[in-house]
Amino acid sequence: MSETPQQERGRTAHEAEPVDADELESILGELVIGTDDHMNAPAFVIRPDDVQRALGRLRDQAGFDHLSCLTPQEYADRYESILHMTTYDDRRREVTLVVPLPKDDPVCQSAEPIFRTADWHEREAYDLVGIEYEGHPDLRRILLPESWQGHPLSLDYNQNKPQVVRYAKHANPLEPDQRGAESNTMLINIGPHHPATHGVLHLKTVLDGETVVDVDPDVGYLHRCEEQMCQQGTYRHQIIPYSNRWDYTANLPNEWAVARAIEDMADIEVPEYAQILRTMSTELGRMLGHFLALGTFALDVFGDFTAIFQYAFRDREVVQDILEDLTGQRMMFYYFRLGGVSWDLPEPRAEFFEKIRDFLDDLPTKLAEYDDLLTGNEIFQIRCVDTGILRPEVAKSYGCTGPVARGSGIDYDLRRDDPYGYYSELEWDVITEDGCDNYARVLVRMQEVEQSAKIVEQCVDLLEDWPEDDRTVQSNVPRTLKPPADAEIYRAVEIPKGELGIYIRSDGSNTPARFKIRSPCYHNLSALPEMSEGEYVADMIATLGSLDIVLGSVDR
Amino acid sequence: MSGASFVPVPLQQDDTVLLPERIADLTGLGGLGTAGELVAAFIAAFIVGNLMLAMTGVAGPWAKRKITAAFTDRIAVNRIGPFGLLIIVADAVRLLSKELIIPENVDRPAYDLAPIVVAGSAMLGFAVIPMGSGVHLADPEVGLAYVFAVSGIASIGLVMAGYSSSNKYSLIGGLRAVAQNIAYEIPLVVTGMSVVIFAGTLQLGEIVAVQAEPLISLGGFTIPQWYAFVNPFAFVLFMVANFAEIGRNPFDTPEAPTEIVAGYQTEYSSVYFVLIYLGEFLHIFLGGAIIATIFLGGPAGPGPAELGIVWFLVKIWAVFLLTQWLRSALPRVRIDQLIEIGWKGMLVLSFANLVLTALIVGMIAS
Repeated sequence: MSETPQQERGRTAHEAEPVDADELESILGELVIGTDDHMNAPAFVIRPDDVQRALGRLRDQAGFDHLSCLTPQEYADRYESILHMTTYDDRRREVTLVVPLPKDDPVCQSAEPIFRTADWHEREAYDLVGIEYEGHPDLRRILLPESWQGHPLSLDYNQNKPQVVRYAKHANPLEPDQRGAESNTMLINIGPHHPATHGVLHLKTVLDGETVVDVDPDVGYLHRCEEQMCQQGTYRHQIIPYSNRWDYTANLPNEWAVARAIEDMADIEVPEYAQILRTMSTELGRMLGHFLALGTFALDVFGDFTAIFQYAFRDREVVQDILEDLTGQRMMFYYFRLGGVSWDLPEPRAEFFEKIRDFLDDLPTKLAEYDDLLTGNEIFQIRCVDTGILRPEVAKSYGCTGPVARGSGIDYDLRRDDPYGYYSELEWDVITEDGCDNYARVLVRMQEVEQSAKIVEQCVDLLEDWPEDDRTVQSNVPRTLKPPADAEIYRAVEIPKGELGIYIRSDGSNTPARFKIRSPCYHNLSALPEMSEGEYVADMIATLGSLDIVLGSVDR
Repeated sequence: MSGASFVPVPLQQDDTVLLPERIADLTGLGGLGTAGELVAAFIAAFIVGNLMLAMTGVAGPWAKRKITAAFTDRIAVNRIGPFGLLIIVADAVRLLSKELIIPENVDRPAYDLAPIVVAGSAMLGFAVIPMGSGVHLADPEVGLAYVFAVSGIASIGLVMAGYSSSNKYSLIGGLRAVAQNIAYEIPLVVTGMSVVIFAGTLQLGEIVAVQAEPLISLGGFTIPQWYAFVNPFAFVLFMVANFAEIGRNPFDTPEAPTEIVAGYQTEYSSVYFVLIYLGEFLHIFLGGAIIATIFLGGPAGPGPAELGIVWFLVKIWAVFLLTQWLRSALPRVRIDQLIEIGWKGMLVLSFANLVLTALIVGMIAS
């Protein structure tokens, strides 16, 4: 298995360079003060006070309408704020803007006026690395508590120093009287513990009667320093298991994000057979996520434990059994290894295929049942149609991806637009709906389950006929993997929630120098205020459900 | 329509023997004059009250779980006792032995009284329901009006609970409850009035008696003149209004667990919570009892008249089953949609039904 078609495609995609670096340089013109070497895209170095101008030019003249990620990091001699840009039309067009900042005064111009999604990213950069953004509307900590001392991902941060904070600083945040003398509004804290927040999320909501006037999502309750833990783990074995803990409702797709970034960085090839196994298991994982999303969304709109919720779990259980047979685990699968997967299909293979086929045969009947109970129900429709409106422009500005973007008519799916794995060899469609509302997002998820089933079925067909002497599940990967020093890469895959991006910078050792996670849930949740302001509180809850956030992925 | 003759109905019909009288006769308390009758009435009330409480006891911790489980592909309680029935005992002990947490800033008398008002108002309604087999506490001339009146008191309890808890979720829940009750009480009563036009009386015993007469006979099989058959439209309207009135899906906005946690009952724990919960179940059963009485012939059914109470309970449980079915299957409407359905839909339909009924009955009578 010297050269697989997949790897060839990956290469050609790379070598063909869908973006013309010279053209971009001429668009940016005098703003460019240098170039950097990023493996995924041309990288231009710009001055801190040119950020908005550069972003504006790239967006308006070159069509870069997707600020995919913002990576802050600290070097020994400088800070860097890296903007990873791409387009919704062609995901393979990428460009990176690198903003070096002086060590003694890391202040950068905010990108928020150009892309709303920079709001939360810059707050996170300030929180974890300590970069300040000039012109940011509300630069405060986002993942850590307000009283935290220091910036944990900065180089001089002392991890062993206890966080001694005076008791007064821990004063009850609910204590102050929030009533305005003239106002008729009411501040209500939805969460951190509330039946509808699907985890620990705190929505500071201002209500006027039943109408939402303002909502401020307060995230970070589930922050587990995942980025830092990944920076401490070795590439070979210690990073992928963490990825299972991000979106824990659909774990396998996450593993692929890490695997893809490291494999592209260290130039590791994946045998074709392993690519099929990866594709099949990932699509089963996607179904896990979508079943849960459908069930919990029903919970938000129906109330209490209802038939549809239990049906979703019943069907999810079957998928879990299949994945348990394959990986030995029911939740934290860790099936992906660098250069392939951990092992081949379980023996006897025929029995395993039979199990998958049984599930796929039953699926249409089950989905018809979902249609009857959920999308065909008139009450469900009056609740979901035209609520939680997310216009495509707004979705793009907030960096929304996945079913949330596709529910707003944005035809964007990394499996097709930035091909990886075996997807481009298979017959399947990207589902989009033009409703822009809660209903459209549910419809997208329902149809994506069908598409996943289609992909799994084709994978099973391929695997069944695969020659027995060509079943390499893993290519040769050095035991101690040390990518070249100062290699930087940003790679993303499509998980059920959207685009999961990984930025890695190596320093020549066997652990990453910087590991940044671009979580789709983080972006999707940041659009909640825009979607729910002016709506009824009940619709805000439904909207939150339709965004399908997983707090493990939001807070990392 | 025999009932349509508007003859004045006597306060107490001679042929019906009410439960207090029967007890007075059986125990000899009747001989002791007014005091004896009072004691007999208390015993009768005690029996009826306990029957309803026992039913709620079965429904809350056990039947509800089993029914929901059947709808949602699960098994539910099955470990303690046959079919898990002893969970009722276990749950009673558990709920009553929990700490009663009373938040600091609650409005004390109102906070304490609300659960009693909620549970008590439902209990009062059962006093005039003819349950068959002689279980009938009182049969006043204004029976139907009385039932609506006392069950309406529950709204006050809900507002008290919502307002006095000094919790924002409770407040929203209380306000939703009262908005909903006002919007649906009117269609409920107006639809009930259409039955009164048919029967020509508010007295529940008489309404049941009228329904016993045959509507049509089909080859030896007689369909009785239940008002659900006579006027199915009114029956459906009444059922819908009733679901809103007792706050069940798709109209469970006052509790709306995923939106406002538990609405007006958010701050209640232990015994108070049990009382509110009990009140809710009693209201479901009272709603079922009213439906059974004015639309389904009360205790009427095949077999000897002594089986009346069995048929009556079957009808109540059928309504309960329906509420649980809806709960498992239907989404809830939003509060503004709920109010809109109430004022723009139900109210208009119920008045149309009333006017039509009056016209038809008037034409037949003339």
